[in-house]
Amino acid sequence: MNLNLSRRTQLKAGLAVAGLTLASGLFALPAQAAQITLLETGSTLLYPLFNLWVPDYTKAHPDVKITTQGTGSGTGIAEAISGVAQIGASDAYMADAQIKQNPSILNIPLAISAQTINYNVPGLNKTHLKLDGPVLAGIYDGSIKNWDDPAIKALNPGVKLPNHTIVPIHRTDGSGDTFIFSQYLSFSTPKWNDSVGYGTTISWPAVQGGVGANGNPGMVQACHETPYSVAYIGVSFHKEIAKAGLGTAMIKNKAGHFLLPTAKTVSAAAAGLIAKTPADERLSLVFSEGADSYPIINYEYAIVNSKQANPETAKAIREFLGWAVQSKGGNAPKYLDQVRFIPLPARIQELSKAQIAKIQ
Amino acid sequence: MRVFRPGLLAVSTLIPLALLAVVVFLTSYSWPAIQFNGLHFLTTETWNLGNLYANPVRRDGFEVPIGATYGIWVFIVGTLASSAIALLLAVPVGIGVALFLNDFAPHQLRGTFAQVVELLAMVPSVVYGLWGLEILAPLVLTHIAPFLERVLGFIPFFSGAATSGYGLLSASLVLAIMVLPVITNTLLEAIKRVPSELRESSFGLGATRAEVLLKIVMPSVRVPLIGAVILALGRALGETMAVLMVSGGALNYLPDTIYSPITSMAAFIASQLDSALQDPSGMAVRSLAEIALVLLIIAVIVNVIARLLTHRAGLHRV
Amino acid sequence: MSSLVSSPTAPVSIASERVRRLQRRRSLFSGFFAVLCVLAFAIVVVPLADILWMTLVKGGSAVSPVLFTQVTNGISGGLLNAIEGTLVLSGGAILLGAPLGVLAGIYLSEYGNGRWGNTVRFLADVLAGVPSIVLGYFVYVTLVIGMGWQFSALAGAITLAIMVMPYIARFTELAMRQNPTSLRESAYALGCKEHQVVLRVLLPAARSGVITGVLFALAFSVGETAPLIYTAGWSNYLWNGHLTQEPIGYLTYVIWNFINEPFASAHALAYAAAFLVVAMVLVINLVARAFLTSKRTV
Repeated sequence: MNLNLSRRTQLKAGLAVAGLTLASGLFALPAQAAQITLLETGSTLLYPLFNLWVPDYTKAHPDVKITTQGTGSGTGIAEAISGVAQIGASDAYMADAQIKQNPSILNIPLAISAQTINYNVPGLNKTHLKLDGPVLAGIYDGSIKNWDDPAIKALNPGVKLPNHTIVPIHRTDGSGDTFIFSQYLSFSTPKWNDSVGYGTTISWPAVQGGVGANGNPGMVQACHETPYSVAYIGVSFHKEIAKAGLGTAMIKNKAGHFLLPTAKTVSAAAAGLIAKTPADERLSLVFSEGADSYPIINYEYAIVNSKQANPETAKAIREFLGWAVQSKGGNAPKYLDQVRFIPLPARIQELSKAQIAKIQ
Repeated sequence: MRVFRPGLLAVSTLIPLALLAVVVFLTSYSWPAIQFNGLHFLTTETWNLGNLYANPVRRDGFEVPIGATYGIWVFIVGTLASSAIALLLAVPVGIGVALFLNDFAPHQLRGTFAQVVELLAMVPSVVYGLWGLEILAPLVLTHIAPFLERVLGFIPFFSGAATSGYGLLSASLVLAIMVLPVITNTLLEAIKRVPSELRESSFGLGATRAEVLLKIVMPSVRVPLIGAVILALGRALGETMAVLMVSGGALNYLPDTIYSPITSMAAFIASQLDSALQDPSGMAVRSLAEIALVLLIIAVIVNVIARLLTHRAGLHRV
Repeated sequence: MSSLVSSPTAPVSIASERVRRLQRRRSLFSGFFAVLCVLAFAIVVVPLADILWMTLVKGGSAVSPVLFTQVTNGISGGLLNAIEGTLVLSGGAILLGAPLGVLAGIYLSEYGNGRWGNTVRFLADVLAGVPSIVLGYFVYVTLVIGMGWQFSALAGAITLAIMVMPYIARFTELAMRQNPTSLRESAYALGCKEHQVVLRVLLPAARSGVITGVLFALAFSVGETAPLIYTAGWSNYLWNGHLTQEPIGYLTYVIWNFINEPFASAHALAYAAAFLVVAMVLVINLVARAFLTSKRTV
């Protein structure tokens, strides 16, 4: 019976091949220097921008291969620290304690992004409802239950608000969007700061019916499919938001004005904090001063180890990141406009370049 | 051959070894968390990673972020509830499909139909999640939930309007569809093995088709059925992606109706791993590893129960 | 005691009337039960058709020859690197896990009635229930970081292999146990040695069940996402043959991640990848069935 013989030899061959591949794999040499391979992993908010950058950059620099991954800010930081990735992408800067543990890690802003607060209230999605930090904190901790709560009514005189339960939507995955949203709540509402605080993942207060969605598109979808819900969504998803017909709220900033995130308001917010940005560039841009400052914006960081495995890799990283922060390179409108990010102000560009030069 | 039987024995040890490696890893890695969390881990409803941007403090001899509390009762409930409801739905339907394939389907189409069911098993979990997200969740919100509320609303668990399509109901439905092929296929193999004499003699006694199937065939495949249910339960407990996308991601509260959002342990580990990596004290990742350990223990308990049931039936096979 | 078949010429009596009513109720129930079973099947078919329809319709716009000729550039392009990666990872998983699983299954069926066999069987069921993300994290800590392999094809393949081994073992065991004892006895009677009996007679006879098990395993591995994110990573480029130190792409990553991007082209790619995965699985299934039915000798 031919099949018997072939099955047995199949088994043997399979084992042999497996054994050989195992052996060879263990002794596989790393990719040789003719082509440098870089791995970027991390924030899903930065992921689309990297995907716009990489094809153009690698076409101009064929000696470099860059792979991009969208895994989450925490993973980006962890992999940059462990060395598995050369470039980690994060919407959140590293905590002091983490920096103390890993003093050679750099947090390099590449662009500035913002966040919208969206809602789905039948009939009101075309008007821009006014919301502020304390009200949002109340919605997300359950103290404000209905859309026609007096607190919301006070901010929106003349608007007919429905008597319906609010469904707050938050992110289940670790997310830079959660980070800046919770920072906004913390900075504007002391009660929230004391009880919940901020982070890429926080312990969302128990609100019966509160929904957790996965990823920004998940937020858009959940908001779209859940009437009377409210969600926080990264500004790069403006097209999805428009398609889903969600309402965008005007958010109260520190000066007391209600603003929508436009290039003007976001740049104003960034400009206000240029002076405050330290050399290591770890700074929150949320709830900044200024009459026209949109309150929910942040630096998008590349997390890089200043000590790289070999000089060729370091050089490749320096060149790529150097290109990325240039106004004619990665910070050009043709890339940033597609994701509605704002280019770095000139002084921040200098600071970033200074940090990039440290990568050896 | 002297090598053959010992060789097989050696290979068969790889499975226990792999499992042992995973268990040892999980236990040793989560040991600090186990000590820090104690038994409160299982009963506390609050899961709080603490303030990751402040310096860690020392509590009970461990470095943890300020305000860190790790409790997984919410996730245990979510996991067990969604798996239980999924099985409640999948077992009868799975039995029905198996019986359909073996007894009611026209002969020529039997192979094709069987393949259709197998195809259901082969759809990847993410695709189920996508489908759940795009099609099932809206359907649940607009049709299924209102229907259930109308019909079963007198039971508190089914009353109250659904506020969104993401929740226990959607997660259970998706899980049910995912584990159904496991039940059907295992059962089908077993039903085929039932000796035809048994059927023929039953028919000879004048039993109707339904009676033959329900009173003769089904009892004789009781043991494989239990095995199939256990395999299905195992799959349901460990299912990550699909549940993650439609379960609604509840945090810090228990579901009060079948329409409430929930979170399962596996989905929670997958979605939280990234954030936990940002904890400089490392306690967060260790607590996640502890969740994995709990999930493993639940799987063990489920399998032990299955063993006991099959032993009571007096059979040691399967 | 009385005949359960009522004939038209039987004398009409109350007992017979009752019998006839009972008979009718039983037949009605039997018919009702048949309908239930058909309904059950319909319940199964509808979601499946819906899922296939969804992937077809939404992925259709991205399905073109480009898919198979270009690599992903992160937003658009083709899926060549992902397709190749899926084949490499799943192939590797089967290559590692199938021989070991089959052999373990053989052990369980032939010699596994003792205490050790029961233990192995029990532990195989438990291993099958370990969530894939846990296995992935385990391999991440021990192999990717611990052994310094970084994101690599081998780490991904090993994770998948650990996942599928228990399934293959159990399926093999079930299939082998179906062999009639007469087969075993006649093989011994003809003078075969132990390993010949098992490998050359019993295993081929159980071929269809074993292959079904391997196929299930292959399908599982093709569809997994969570464990591969932390072991195989992802790559925008074709696999360069390195088993370690080099991440690799796979289709399920595209499904999971590209759907989260704000570009319509990325979404289309995600659905196209979903369609490809389902199509791949269907093709594997059909080919194996054809193979089995043509070579069936038992």
